[in-house]
Amino acid sequence: MSQNLVILCAAGMLVTAYLMVGQKALFVAIRLYGLQSILLGVVAVAMAFTDHRPHLLESAALTIGLKGVFIPWFLMRTIDRIGIHREIEPFVNTPSSLLICLGLTVVGYRVSTGLAAGGEGAAHHVIGVSLSMLLMGLFLMVTRRKAVTQILALLTIENAVFLVALGATSGMPLVVELGISFDVIVAVLVLGILVHRIVDRFESMDVSRLSKLKG
Amino acid sequence: MSGWTHVASSTPLSLARSFAFGLLQAAVLLAVAPLLRGVIKKMKAAFQTRQGPPLLQGYYDLAKLLRKEPVRSETASWVFVAGPRIYFATAVAATMLVPVLFAGAPLEQAGGILVLVGLLALGRFTLAIASLDTGSPFGGMGGSREMTVAALAEPALMLGLFTVALWAGSLNLGDLVRTTAQRGPSGHPSELLAAAALFIVLLAEAGRVPVDNPATHLELTMIHEAMVLEYAGPDLALVEWASALKELLFMTLLVNLFLPLGLAASAAPGAIAVSGALYAGKVFFLAVAVTLVESTNAKLRFFRVPELMALSLGLGFLALAIRFL
Repeated sequence: MSQNLVILCAAGMLVTAYLMVGQKALFVAIRLYGLQSILLGVVAVAMAFTDHRPHLLESAALTIGLKGVFIPWFLMRTIDRIGIHREIEPFVNTPSSLLICLGLTVVGYRVSTGLAAGGEGAAHHVIGVSLSMLLMGLFLMVTRRKAVTQILALLTIENAVFLVALGATSGMPLVVELGISFDVIVAVLVLGILVHRIVDRFESMDVSRLSKLKG
Repeated sequence: MSGWTHVASSTPLSLARSFAFGLLQAAVLLAVAPLLRGVIKKMKAAFQTRQGPPLLQGYYDLAKLLRKEPVRSETASWVFVAGPRIYFATAVAATMLVPVLFAGAPLEQAGGILVLVGLLALGRFTLAIASLDTGSPFGGMGGSREMTVAALAEPALMLGLFTVALWAGSLNLGDLVRTTAQRGPSGHPSELLAAAALFIVLLAEAGRVPVDNPATHLELTMIHEAMVLEYAGPDLALVEWASALKELLFMTLLVNLFLPLGLAASAAPGAIAVSGALYAGKVFFLAVAVTLVESTNAKLRFFRVPELMALSLGLGFLALAIRFL
């Protein structure tokens, strides 16, 4: 039963990653990231109970509280403050992005079967989903124009790495968990400030303008 | 009544009994369909802190329209008259292929997924050519838009249904539901992906907000409403009723394929009551989901709709691909 829950939530994370690629409203993308993190938390909770790894509960609480609630709130506040155009403008159009992500998912799934733990059962799906999400995160990062969307892509990659850690290992010790969480917070805060600076200087979040010498 | 017990054991019913059972199921769904729309409208109104129309408004509207005399353009030919009738008939025929309260469909020997999709396509096609018949620009525009959306929604619908069909190894909806009900949740990601794809198809087929706005009569944005703009009286009532039935049909398909929990295996009153209550609960849950999407999203610009449908198609493809990985 809880095996099914794990797979269901992992699949849900893949769907949210997919929806993130497929739609254009910035706020929806942020909410999707929050939902994805909450699903990740549920995966951790389910694994804590099935495999009797109580320390996973703490990282689940951290994931839900920090990545599911705090970071989305912080990002939305940042966007509200700088008052930018709330639409994602990708370099690659949506249908092509979706097709490419489709291919990336197939690659991620295929690769996961080569891993020792990824051959079969729930671990196969968890690792397959996380590798696909990792690739999709990388793809989002190189094809998105706005700094905030690139932060979201980075956070998606981070979620994917956490999920692969859950699926392939018996979970990381709490100290490492805490370290990673603080890294993520600091990264988001710093990137938030960076976004402010970029907008101040260039009156836009479009990072492609950074490569021009004149504004 | 005794014939129904055979449904579960999948022994073929006699043709006459299948038809009787099918007609009864279609009648029940027809009776409930306007209520579903009323419930969604009410919940939407609650979101906007309005009171909204009464739950039974759909029935009042249908009764009013059915009492009126049909007004048709002088240039309208028989195609115009036939359109709503065929649309209604295909929707009713489609309901007979879908399992609702029982783990089996009344006319499941007549065909499965492909017939269902074909019937719905036939209904849409006749309505679209009927909209061209009077030569009014709005009808043609609406018809063209409707077909654009349909052409994109249909493959996604097929992919989603095929993903589920692969599990059961059968294209027959009755077999499909019986297999999933026995096996329980598969614990495979492809199921959720297919469900997500079909949910987007549901929004498109029912003309719900990100694709079409069922509440507006603003000419520039409407799709389905523009197509049926020329209809009045009983003709319009048939179109409205069939559309409501189609919406309920899609929801039924979605809940029974992915959550076949508690479907009655026999015609025992207790089993029917349990299955009916669960069915109502599941459809209500889906209606809440639709309301949430409608209330929190803006309608997409028409040229953005293909992107949404591409998303649905992508999810369907992915569901099918992951099934083999």
